[in-house]
This record gives sequence, structure tokens and C-alpha cells, in this order.
Amino acid sequence: MANKRIELPQGTLDLLILRTLALEPQHGWAISERIHQISSDVLLIQQGSLYPALHRLERRGWIKAKWGISENNRRAKYYELTKTGRKQLELEKDSWKKLAAAVAQILETA
Amino acid sequence: MLNDLFFRLRSLFRRDTVEAEADTELRFHFDQQVEKYLKSGLTREEAIRCARLDFGGHEQLKEEIRDSRGVNLLETLFQDIRYGLRILGRTPVITGVAIVSLALGIGANTAIFSLIDTVMLRLLPVQKPEELVQVLRANFSGGGEGTPSFTNPLWEQVRDHQDVFSNAFAWGESRFDLSKGGAVHYASGIFASGDYFNALGIRPAAGRLIAPSDDTRGCPGVAVLSYGFWQDHYGGAQSAIGSLVALNDHSFQIVGVSSPGFYGVEVGNKFDVAIPICTADVFDGKRSRLDHRSWWWLSIMGRVKPGVSQEQLKARLGVLSPQIFAGALPKNWDEKEQAKFLKLTLVASRAATGISYVRRKFEQPLHILMAVVGLVLLIACANIASLMLARAASRNKEIAVRKALGASRPRLIRQMLTECILLSTAGALLGLLFARWGTALLVRYISTARNTVFLDFSVDARVLGFTAAIAVLTGILFGVLPAFRSTGVSLTSAMKGSQGSDSEGHLRFRPAKWIVASQVALSLVLLVASGLFLRSFVKLSTLDIGFDRNNVLIVHADLHTAKVPPEERLITYEQVESRLRALPGVISAGRSVMTPISGFEWNEFVRTDSPNPPKGDDALVYFNFISPGYFETMRTPLMAGRGFNDHDTKTSTKVAIINQTMARKFFPNTDPLGKYFSTVEDPGKPAPLFQIVGLTRDSKYESLHEEMPSTAFFPITQVPEGDDEENFLLRTVTNPMFLASAVQEAVAGVNKAIPLEFHTLAEQVDDSLVQERLLATLSTFFGGLALLLAMIGLYGALSYLVTQRQAEFGIRMALGAPQKSILGLVMRDVVLVLASGLAAGTCISLAVVGLLQKMLFGLAARDTVTLLASIGVLSAVAFFAGYLPARRAMRVDPMVALRYE
Repeated sequence: MANKRIELPQGTLDLLILRTLALEPQHGWAISERIHQISSDVLLIQQGSLYPALHRLERRGWIKAKWGISENNRRAKYYELTKTGRKQLELEKDSWKKLAAAVAQILETA
Repeated sequence: MLNDLFFRLRSLFRRDTVEAEADTELRFHFDQQVEKYLKSGLTREEAIRCARLDFGGHEQLKEEIRDSRGVNLLETLFQDIRYGLRILGRTPVITGVAIVSLALGIGANTAIFSLIDTVMLRLLPVQKPEELVQVLRANFSGGGEGTPSFTNPLWEQVRDHQDVFSNAFAWGESRFDLSKGGAVHYASGIFASGDYFNALGIRPAAGRLIAPSDDTRGCPGVAVLSYGFWQDHYGGAQSAIGSLVALNDHSFQIVGVSSPGFYGVEVGNKFDVAIPICTADVFDGKRSRLDHRSWWWLSIMGRVKPGVSQEQLKARLGVLSPQIFAGALPKNWDEKEQAKFLKLTLVASRAATGISYVRRKFEQPLHILMAVVGLVLLIACANIASLMLARAASRNKEIAVRKALGASRPRLIRQMLTECILLSTAGALLGLLFARWGTALLVRYISTARNTVFLDFSVDARVLGFTAAIAVLTGILFGVLPAFRSTGVSLTSAMKGSQGSDSEGHLRFRPAKWIVASQVALSLVLLVASGLFLRSFVKLSTLDIGFDRNNVLIVHADLHTAKVPPEERLITYEQVESRLRALPGVISAGRSVMTPISGFEWNEFVRTDSPNPPKGDDALVYFNFISPGYFETMRTPLMAGRGFNDHDTKTSTKVAIINQTMARKFFPNTDPLGKYFSTVEDPGKPAPLFQIVGLTRDSKYESLHEEMPSTAFFPITQVPEGDDEENFLLRTVTNPMFLASAVQEAVAGVNKAIPLEFHTLAEQVDDSLVQERLLATLSTFFGGLALLLAMIGLYGALSYLVTQRQAEFGIRMALGAPQKSILGLVMRDVVLVLASGLAAGTCISLAVVGLLQKMLFGLAARDTVTLLASIGVLSAVAFFAGYLPARRAMRVDPMVALRYE
């Protein structure tokens, strides 16, 4: 199981967080679980990088935090995308696609 | 942006809330994770364990969150400062030593820099100083920098014909005697052209300033006081305006006071009183400098019209020059000289920082001193670095604990650097105090009786900036190495709590060795430099100058100002001389027009009939006119022929006594006695012929640095009219200055109106060595300081080493090593450090001393004696500093040492 996991390239965590939050507001644990699930268990987000990233995004104003009640009735901090965050997501998505396409092209032809 | 700021501020000021929130958030995540594991079928213990493993350090994560929230920068700064102060306060002695040595280093740097700033960098405190240029006259070829002095006819031509300056103005420096006879009391004065104050944009503090209408031929004498002079002499009273002031016994009406903070355009001098140029003829009488075409006494500045470029200015001045110089041609010059004069051209040089004699004279010494104090500061930094290194080592455990608790390495480094900058800031603040005191001392040191240096040290942003910059830089410099090394400590070894194994002790000591070796190297460079300056100064002051400078009083008597008619002057001088000779305490007395090493010279080209006469500058001979008592008073022996006597009168045969150098140059291999020489006189007049009647020993004339110059002495009775300002020279039994009041009385007995100025010959000679003395004293002082610092550094580093290796020494001794071998072990380190430091220092010294050559006298910069002596002194000091800890190591009690393990 451990050897299936892949280290996230620098900077992609932000993109993944923004994308995950684009669906609905989530708390930190749910974000990491969702990424884990959607990536078919390949990507495992370490708490050590998740929370600093969330607070950094919050500082930049791309996401905002609200305290809410979780499914199991506990106080949890929910993050949601802001308007600028949504714009930023589109930008990052674009540049990621370009990057991925370029890398793929090189891998296939070179 | 605003959002960002708000976010940071909330994190900072609502810190507890934010922290609690982060805690809750992380706790929630942790619980979710545990639940997940429980669902997958693990027991509670296993689930918690797994979640912990996933989670990593809770505190570490919080620290990272804090970082990403952007709180840390400010918050930890306050934290670090608080913590730093506490740490520094815990070791008051070390902190005190560090602060004082830094204060000395930074203070010295600030003092020298503020001198450099004031003398060289600061703009004149006038309106738009960047527009100002000084006008110079240069050869047409443009060779050299040009000469700044002008005659009044030339200035009038410039003033009336120039069209490139919005204002042009001229001034001449002078000094005026305020007393009416007796001991002089000089005020420094300027002759200012009518536009002087207006062009500089100076406003009056009271009354009005000199205006163009005040500066016309035959003008009434008006005077403007400087603000400082007005305050000191008139208490700033309004009634001073309109009153009369006597300058060299001529009355001037005070019309106003210039604004405070304006001291003139010459940096290093200040004016007390300004009077219009047109009043100069009052002081000169018949031969007025206003119409004199070879009396160079004025300087000219202009304010360039806006929009005129430097090239345009240069071109236009070139076009104007022929007409201007033709209009002020000295017609009594011979044809060749006249042709040269007509080819002169005006050039302009930027003068935003004013002009300065002090700048020219002390530019090089100041730069050298700047380098010297820079080195001292480096050495002080090195000391503090070793100190910090030692202290950091003793904080290993603390650092390990902090790391284990989640402190990151950059965070720890920042903390340690903050401590260092706290130290250096404290040093800088104290240093500023030292600097204020130091600059005042320096200025007093470079002032002489004849040339009082005045510098305006008002607070300047540049100096404060400089001090702040070196404070931060030094803090980083001595902090970086210890901070990086000590935070690189491995957790396990530090936590084990031992004193560190032997190998580690070695490892940790290595940078300390490097630091001490570099201190030794830098100290050697300083010692060599100070040795060179000291030896050069000693050589100059013990030089055989051909006369005995001790116990001679020079009394300058000005019969011109006393308004003694020319035909009565000779008899007056003789009367005074005979009275002075009779004073108790006077061994002998003489008179002369020039006095040695006064900075003044009188030289002329001399011709002889002998075959192969000297040509060019070799034919230049220095002149002096002396009374019969001169040589006896100066203790310069006559080698052959006769001295002057009462039979050498104004009308008797023109005779001369020459010195050995002149005899050798002009009359090689023959006896000069009885031979004749002549001078080059005005065209059309017969050249006067002088018969040589005596030969005297060589002596210095203008400066101690010069080669012995060809000198000719003439009877003072035969001095040309108008050049008869004479000095009395009295050889005295005791301190010459004790005689001043007796001399004053004696002169008053002849004529009360004669102004008298007193100097001693020794002081006159000493004053010519200001530069050399400044360099020798200060570099020796700083060299000594460097030596002391290096010694402390070596001592500290070795003591630390000895403590570190105490256990090792204990074991060695327990196993039977003799005490001597332990001593040898430590001294081997001393020798190693010393040898590498000396080798590096020697290389650096040999590479850079060449720069000092110009400031040295009588020895080469790569002087072996100086180098060897410096190495010797440094080695002796190093061995002494090294022996103390080595002896302590030797006396380690094996039992005590081992018990520490």
C-alpha cells in the first residue's frame, strides 16, 4: 500500500485543495480524505503540509474559514472558496494542464 | 493586500484565540483519523498510535501553521528580543566586555567616518550647492588640475565679462588683528565680493549683508559678522549693528550678521568677519593688491546658469579666456612669461562640497585611518564571534531541547542573530558617544597654532546611517558562524548530556582557531602599519635639521599695521632687538624676515659666472634676510668666512652667506668665498650682484621632508623695501613662552602700537608634522588596541579548548603523561595558530603596505625591521596569552577532571 503513494510535486497541493473546495465547503480532514479517495488511494496528503497550506490560502484570501458542526456533531473549521479563490483555481487549472501536456509531449516524443 | 494585513494582525493580536482555534482544528482532525482507524477494525490503542504516527509532532505542525499565517515574523521578533535580553543579562560580564569592545570599534569608525563626511562628502549648507563650481586657471594644454588663485584685476575681468554664471563671486581669506598693539588677537576674515552672500543664498540673521553696492572702488568700510562671532563677542546684541570694529587698527562699521550654520565655503575654516574686497587697499597702502597684477589672493566661484551643461560651460570659458587674461596682463613680466600668461584658460570644477585645505591635506591620512579602524572593528568582531561560539557550545542542551520541541533551525538561527544584533546595537549607541568625543579630540589634534581647524559636526543622516549599517553588519558578521554551527548540533549527542567526546571537541574548536588565526593576521597588518608610521615619525622628529629648535621664541612684529613710516622701520627694529637682547632669561637674539618651517618661502633663480651653472629648478635658491645675531640664536654654525656685522648696512656692498648645498651646487670643487652671484631681476633693471662672504651649515627651510635646499642669507639691513615684516628670535634659558609678557613690555617701551604674535620654534616645527603625528599616534593606539583584542581572543579560545579537553587531559595524566607533555599539547595549538596567522599577516602586509609609501619618510614601506619587530611583539604577546590557559591545563587534577565524565 505504501509504495502506491506518490509525493506531490511542489505547488500542486494548493490546486488540489482549491479544486476540492470548489464542490462544497469542507473541513481539513474531509479534504484530505477526498483527495485520497478520488486519486484512488494514490495521493496521501500529510497533515504536516495540509494545515499550513490551508492557513496560507486563507491568508491570501482564496479561501475563507467558518466554524460549523460536523456530521458527528463536533465543532469543525470549514473552508470555502472565495471569489478570488475561484478565479485562482481557473488560472492554476489552466497552467497545470499546459504543464502536464508539455511534460507528456516531451516524454512521448523525446 | 488589505486582507493579508488584517489576517496577519488578527493572528498577532488575537493570538490566544487563533492558537486555540488551531488546536481545536488539529484535535478534530486527529479524532476523525482515530475514528477512521477504529472503523477499519483496529483496537483503540492501535488506532491512536497509528493516528499519532500519521500526524507527526503536534507542536511542530502548529509552528508551521503559525509560519504560514505570517505571524511569526513580527511576533518572534519581539519574542527573540525579549529572550535575547534575558540571555545577555544572564552573563553581564561577557555582555559588558562585548559591548565595550564593540563600542570602541564602532565609535572609532563613526568618528573617522564623520570626519570624512564633514571634510569630504557633505554639501555646503547653502542654496542649491550642486550648481556651484570653482573657477580655476589652467594651462591651455589642460595639463594639471588648475590653480585656484586669482589677482583682483583678473577677478574684475571675469566678473565683467562672464555670461555662463547666474552669479559669480570671489573671496580672499585673511586674518585681522582685533587688538590695537601688543599681543595680537586674530579674527579670521574674508574679503568678499559684493555678490558673495547673495550668490550663496545666505540670509542675514540681523541687519543686512554685503551687497554689490558695498563693493566699489573707494568704498566705505562695512563689515558683516558671522553668527558665531556675533554671539561670542557681542552676546548677540542688536546694538552691535551699526557699531565699529577695528581690524588691524582700521575702523569698519558692522552692518549685519550672516545666518547661523554658514561658515564660509572653505571647509575646515570659518570666518568671523567679512568685509568687501574694495577695502583691501586700506591695509596695503601704496602697493594695493586691488591693482596688483601678480598678487594672487582671490578665489572665484560661480553658480552655473540652469540648462548650461558642463561641456557648454567648458567651451564658453575657453572662448572667454583670451580676452579676460589679456585684460589683466602683468606688464612688468618678461616676454616669455607674458606669452605663457596669455595662453592661460579658465576651467570650472564642481564645488558643491566646498573647497578645503584640510581636505587636501588629510584626505589620505583619513582614508588610511578609516582602513585602520575598520580592521580594529573586524578584530573586535572576531573576538565576539569566538565568545559567542564558546557560549553557544555551552547552550548545546538548550538548543537540542528547543529543536526537539519543534523549533526549526532557521528559527533558532534567527534567535541567535537577534541576540548578536542586540549586542551590536548597544555597542553602536555607546559608540556614538565615543565618536562625539573622538571627533572633537581629532579636530583639536589636527589644529595648529597657525591653522585652527573648524568643522561643523552637526548631526547628519549619512553618519547615523553609516553607524546603523556597521552595527547591523558587525552583528551579523560575528553572529552568523556561531549561529550556524551551534544549531547544527545533532539531537542525540546533545541529549546524551556528555561534554562531548574528544573528536567532537576538536571539531568544535576548529572555527575558533580560524578566528584567532585571522585575528593574528589582521593585528600583524595593523602593527606593521603603525610601526611604519611610528618609525617614520621618529625619523622626522629626530632628523638633523641644521638648527636647534628648543627654547627659541619667535616674535612676529608688524610695523606696517603699527603705521611706522618705512624710513623709521629699520631703526625701530634695531631698538627693539637690543632691548630684547637685554631681557633677563635671553641668551641671544636675532632677527629674520623668514623663519624656518613656517610654511612660507622666498625663492629666486640665481645665476653665476662659474662654468656649468645649475639649470632649471636646480638654480632655485631659498632666500632669507637676517641680523648678525641670527646664526648664534639658531645655533647654526658658520663653516668658513665671516658672519654679518654692523658694517653691513643698507648702502654697503651687497653680501651674502650661503649654505653648503648651494656651495656644492653652484661652486663645485672651488672655494665659494669671495665669488659673486646675481638674481634675475625685472627686465630693464641691472641684476644686483652679491658677494659671498661666508659659508654656513645646511639647515631645513620650508619643511622637514625636503632635501636640504640651496639657501642664501643676506643682511637684514639690505632687505628690499616693502618686504620688511620681521621676526625676532630669542634663545631663552627656560620655556620661551614665559618671556612673552616681558617681551610685550619691552616692545611697548619702543612703540605701543606694534602688534606682536608669539610662537616657539619647536611648536612651529612640530606643527609641520601634524599629518605624521596624527597617523603615528592613532595607528599606534589602534595597533595596541588590536594587540590587546587579539590577546583576549587567543586567551579566550584556548581557555575554552582547555575546558573542553579537561577530561582528555585527565585521562592522559592518569595514564602517566607528564605535565610538560600536556603543556606541549596546548602550546602546539598556540604555535600552529600563531604561525598560520603570522604567515597570512605577512603576506597581506607585504601586499598592501605599498599604499602607505607616500606617507612615509626615510624608510621603505616593505621595511624588514618593522616587519620583524611586529612579528616579535605579536609572538611574545601570543605566547603570554597562550601560556596562561596552558598552565591551567597542566595543573588539571586527573581525579577532578574524570569525575566530570
